[in-house]
Amino acid sequence: MPASPLLVPALDPAPIPGPAWLFHVLWVAMFVIHLLFVNTVLGGTLLAAAASFAGKRLRPAAVLFVEMNSWTISLAITFGIAPLLFLQVLYGRFFYSATILVARGWLGMLVLLTVAYYLNYAVKARLRGGGDAPALLAVEALLFLTIAAIQVAVHLLSVQPGLWDAASRSGFAILFDPSFAPRFLHFVLAAVSLAGALAMRQGIRAAEAGRDRTAADLLARFGQKAALLATFLQLVDGLWLLLSLPRPVLLGFMKGGGKTMGPLTLAILLGLGLLVLLAQLSDPLSAPKKTRHVTELILGAILLMVVTRHQVRGLYLAASGVTGLPVEAPQWGMFLAFLGTFVLCAALAVYACVRAWKDRG
Amino acid sequence: MDFPSWDLVATLGGGVLVGVVAILHVLVSHFAIGGGLAIAVIETLSVRRGDGALRELAKRSSKILILVSTVFGAISGVGIWVTIGLVAPAATSALIHTFVWAWAIEWAFFLLEIVTALAYFATWDRVSKRTHLVLIWLYAFSAFMSLVVIQGILSFMLTPGRWLATYSVVDGFFNPTFLPGLVYRTGICLLLAGAYLTFAALREKGAARARLVRLLAGFEAGGALLAYAGYRWWETALPGQVKELFAGAQPLLATLHTTRSVSLRALAFVLVVAVASLLVPRVKSTPVAVVVLLAAFLSFGSAERLREGARKPFVIRDYMFSNGILVTEVPKLNSAGILARARWAARETEASGKSRGEAVYRAECSACHTLDGYQSIRAVTGAMDRDMLTSFLDESRKDGEAWRARLVRGAAPPNPGYPSMAPFVGTDGERDALAAFLVSLQPSPAKEPNAR
Repeated sequence: MPASPLLVPALDPAPIPGPAWLFHVLWVAMFVIHLLFVNTVLGGTLLAAAASFAGKRLRPAAVLFVEMNSWTISLAITFGIAPLLFLQVLYGRFFYSATILVARGWLGMLVLLTVAYYLNYAVKARLRGGGDAPALLAVEALLFLTIAAIQVAVHLLSVQPGLWDAASRSGFAILFDPSFAPRFLHFVLAAVSLAGALAMRQGIRAAEAGRDRTAADLLARFGQKAALLATFLQLVDGLWLLLSLPRPVLLGFMKGGGKTMGPLTLAILLGLGLLVLLAQLSDPLSAPKKTRHVTELILGAILLMVVTRHQVRGLYLAASGVTGLPVEAPQWGMFLAFLGTFVLCAALAVYACVRAWKDRG
Repeated sequence: MDFPSWDLVATLGGGVLVGVVAILHVLVSHFAIGGGLAIAVIETLSVRRGDGALRELAKRSSKILILVSTVFGAISGVGIWVTIGLVAPAATSALIHTFVWAWAIEWAFFLLEIVTALAYFATWDRVSKRTHLVLIWLYAFSAFMSLVVIQGILSFMLTPGRWLATYSVVDGFFNPTFLPGLVYRTGICLLLAGAYLTFAALREKGAARARLVRLLAGFEAGGALLAYAGYRWWETALPGQVKELFAGAQPLLATLHTTRSVSLRALAFVLVVAVASLLVPRVKSTPVAVVVLLAAFLSFGSAERLREGARKPFVIRDYMFSNGILVTEVPKLNSAGILARARWAARETEASGKSRGEAVYRAECSACHTLDGYQSIRAVTGAMDRDMLTSFLDESRKDGEAWRARLVRGAAPPNPGYPSMAPFVGTDGERDALAAFLVSLQPSPAKEPNAR
């Protein structure tokens, strides 16, 4: 929907401190990492809740994801900061406007996140004490689902200034956007697929380490079923999402040729391959190689979908009719300082983890 | 200014919201920095001396650190971003455009901080002592470096220094209050570490307890002294006008003077108790530790409030006013009108049938004022009639021109009656509309200027 130009804030007169392409590259690269942790947290918590309700036999799945959440939530938040920075450089006026229009939800998201994180520590303590916490896990999962919905709402609003007028009257208006439901499902199903693959890998690792084989088998099969179901639904939902795009966006996407259709087609093929592979796996423990391929296919599909998502954002904004590009005044010295610091900190982080891993008793 | 506005900000006050989130965050984040350093020192001493009590203190403290730093610290840090983006999007955008690489550098250190915090906590009793020390010292280093970077950006907002002329990010970062503020914050980090970790020390019994309390009192005393020195240095680096306000030069802004006094007295109190605990450790009981922690909060919270207050009427001093209006765009807005730029304020007014004056209020005043709550505009303007308001806004508009002249030509700064207030910007018609709206907020007799 074209935007009323009067409602889109003017471009910030201050130049951006680097070429736009650099911010796009950094944004996408950091967003992929962020999304991997986010999917692990969201999908893992959903599977942990489901496993917890299924009784004692799936307890290892609940334990696995609750323990993982202790650090994956922190890393999801930390890796979310960088894409948020680069997004604001490029699309600040759209992003700020969207967040203000759903301000209660956007700010409330932090409260939900804090509660969910501390809830995870409470569940962890209970599971370590030998107890169960299905109700708490269900609440935690619900909180993460709500956070996902808020993120989807802000994203859709930020790329569609034409919806701002309606959103200013009620922030809930965005929930009725035709793309909201399929996009939200797309997010959730990808998370479940990844978490399912992680459960399979963990089951195989447990069996290889000589731990209880029955429990390992149950964990791997649980992961496989979750990933299979989520991947099947994802293919259906993907089609729904594509058809729900506004016509100018869809047409722009089709007309983009290999640049836009290439990543999407490849992602669909990866999804189909994943579905076939998962369906063929009758005994995940006996096929560790195939299980590794499952994880690789999911990671590949997520990477491609992030690229597609980025392209769709550009098409949405082009369809809104809002023009104007920020002036560029690169701060190359500062960029190099960032690059150097990032490499140093990443190297030190890897060194710390490797040293601790090798040194553990 | 030409962004949509959030109703809660209009009723609660954007400053209050940012203040609550920011103060909660800094109380936690400064502990995360000082706590990391304190735990690194404590564990190093425990290894060198073979002191089990010190080791237990480090272990217990690391649980607090992980729960506070990696969860609440990380989320509330993002919370500040979220809040300032909602309350002051134009200022956030200006800061991002100038300092995104600095923020990215800070993020890289934060990443190392989080990874090492998680690894440190997870490897108690599982790795060699040396490896465990490597982890906590890496944490302490990265946490401190993130403070260094963020201090450059925060101090820039108050004293942009040569950046105003050069627009060089290095000039902006190494601004006049950067180093003094860093010394102050480092002191606060150490002080908070001592104050928080004392609770873990108080769980020990006998001689070990006295030893631990004394060690942490050393952190408190050293931190308080460093903070005091940093604060005094910081004051000398402030612009002259702001220093005068601190000294109580402007009776209308006595709050700043009082806040300064509260901050310094609370700091002195912490220092006195810390020195007493160094000499006689049994002075530090749990209730005393609670009072010291609250005093530390009061001192630091007041200093943060002071820093924010000292910046007014700017969000970036001499560059952007608190309501998002750039100093350089004052003449243009005075001739074209604020509502030509404030699209949302104008549109919301049209849609709801509210007056043009209310639109001007929303565009210019609502960043700092609420109708009846914090900085109530009804209370502030209650004693003024329409003529007085018109005259006041006229004078205020001249201040805006004077601020611009100062920036562009280096002219003398204005000396407004309300030094914290952003100047009125707009046409005569908008001035009259705003005055009429403000009068309409008053009880009915004042609405009739001719009834006198």
